[in-house]
Amino acid sequence: MKSYLLSPDKILTFVKELSRDGSLYYPMFEEGRTHLVRFDEAKEFKPDFTRIRTAENIKHFFFPSRDTVAAFPKDKTREVGKKYLFGVKNCDLRGVDVYDRVFMGWEPVDPFYKEHRDKTILISADCPNPEDSCFCNLLGMNPYPDGISDLNFTELPNGLLFEACTKRGEEIIDAYRNMFAEAKETDESERKVRREEAVKKLNKINSKPFRKDLPARVEAAGKEKMRNARDECVECHACLHACPTCYCFLLSDYKKGEDIERVRIWDACYYAAYARVGGGANPRSEIDERFWNRFRCKFDFFTKYENIYGCSGCGRCLLGCSAKIDIREILWNV
Amino acid sequence: MERINPYYPIPVKIKKIIPETPTITTFILNGRPFDFEAGQFAELTVPVVGEAPFTPSSSPHDDDMEFTIMKVGRVTDALFNMKEGDLVGVRGPFGKPYPLQQFKGKEIFIVGGGVGFAPLRSLFLALLHDLKSYKKIYIRYGARTPEDIVYKRLIPEWQKIDGVDLLMTVDVGDESWGGRVGVVTVILDKIPVDVKTSPSVVCGPPLMMKFSTQRLVEAGFRHENIYLSMEKNMSCGLGKCNHCRVGKFYVCKDGPVLTWQDVKDIEEPFL
Repeated sequence: MKSYLLSPDKILTFVKELSRDGSLYYPMFEEGRTHLVRFDEAKEFKPDFTRIRTAENIKHFFFPSRDTVAAFPKDKTREVGKKYLFGVKNCDLRGVDVYDRVFMGWEPVDPFYKEHRDKTILISADCPNPEDSCFCNLLGMNPYPDGISDLNFTELPNGLLFEACTKRGEEIIDAYRNMFAEAKETDESERKVRREEAVKKLNKINSKPFRKDLPARVEAAGKEKMRNARDECVECHACLHACPTCYCFLLSDYKKGEDIERVRIWDACYYAAYARVGGGANPRSEIDERFWNRFRCKFDFFTKYENIYGCSGCGRCLLGCSAKIDIREILWNV
Repeated sequence: MERINPYYPIPVKIKKIIPETPTITTFILNGRPFDFEAGQFAELTVPVVGEAPFTPSSSPHDDDMEFTIMKVGRVTDALFNMKEGDLVGVRGPFGKPYPLQQFKGKEIFIVGGGVGFAPLRSLFLALLHDLKSYKKIYIRYGARTPEDIVYKRLIPEWQKIDGVDLLMTVDVGDESWGGRVGVVTVILDKIPVDVKTSPSVVCGPPLMMKFSTQRLVEAGFRHENIYLSMEKNMSCGLGKCNHCRVGKFYVCKDGPVLTWQDVKDIEEPFL
């Protein structure tokens, strides 16, 4: 596939052009963390593509934490604006992959997710400096994208080396072709070297692989084995809300004027009432059962259903955990 | 372009309310908001309060959709305060229907407990619609007391139908009760069907499901021929929200009826 180079002096112009077509978000390092911020021509553009994924996951853009999905008795339609997510990392693309499967992979397609997805251009970036919390390599992933995004770039000293991954990505390159130079072979070899270095770093951080039969081991672990692992858990649910692949939600109805609005809210399988039925029976009334269920959901059930792990290795769960529980330790020991 | 919104409940008025027992009532809607097949379910919205999943108790061929519902929680409490003419919302149909094509030419053994008779009634009426296609329909139904039996107004007529064999039991009898006493398994002592080929369909409270299934397995029904209604917490009905997942199944999408073959390896599948 052809690669194109965007020289450093043209990055701002390119981003500015895109932002005139739709709101654009890019990673900026601020107060010790990288955040996705909205590009504003009136403010200084200070992107940071070298650090790992942003503190926030990108599921908000496709699946807001609180979203009105219906009105009753008469439904209403809403418009979703076009967006560009610029510089997202591969772990967050795994989240989008999981969401694509759940919300669009089987009937009925979720019209709200699809609209957000259709109107959001994903421009991903290689992840050259994995940190201690990263573990995408343990899940068979690379610190650079191999699908899902429309365009991907690698940051090189002489600019951003772009590659189109979808037709939509090709169209963007075509539309702004005058800004790009055709990449040289040396640019592409430099990309290869940087990617290999990133993989090496990751393999150093996580030198011990998960066992090949991880789904079966998680299934066989049982709530008893999980008890030690979850002993410190204070049920804050941070791991679940920070997770880019968790997709549980709940529909709640609220009165708004004369009408009723149906709101879709993020839910989490750690909540005690999550699985309780009307009559009161609860298949997961104990935290041990719920803790085990989370692991089964991501590493057993989802794998059986879709043949990929429902985990991206982004490490947000272990950084967000009040009890500093490291998901890798649990998975190495099942 | 208008999109179909799977979260939008179709508004429909309650046409008639028929109390069945002190805690169970049948709500007949004004029309059939959508077509469905026996075994598929719907999400019923009580305005402002929210929605809950129920399988219609009416025949898929009836003009009006009916639900027979037990008062057990927030949504049903509110529903029981509604009156004829009030507006509710309905979404569906969700899930997979009973495989009636596979039932053709066979004896069908239906086991129900309590309000579990509601979805089974929809199946039974669908079978009656084409009774000649089935060898015989057996129904074994258990309720706690004679007062708790649903469809008392309809059962005597059903018992008169040639090709239908309906037996009942109650856990605890009273002076009015001349029938069998004991939990539903007491009327499963004799199973007069060819267990090697017949499908069995079970719906009821968790313990009843557990012990009835055990009995059917012992009697020799093939595991893939035992159809079980799985009651799970559900929100979306679309196989998206993850609430109803049991094992690798989304009950709302892959069920709500799963076979014993599907669920037998799951820890406490009926909880």
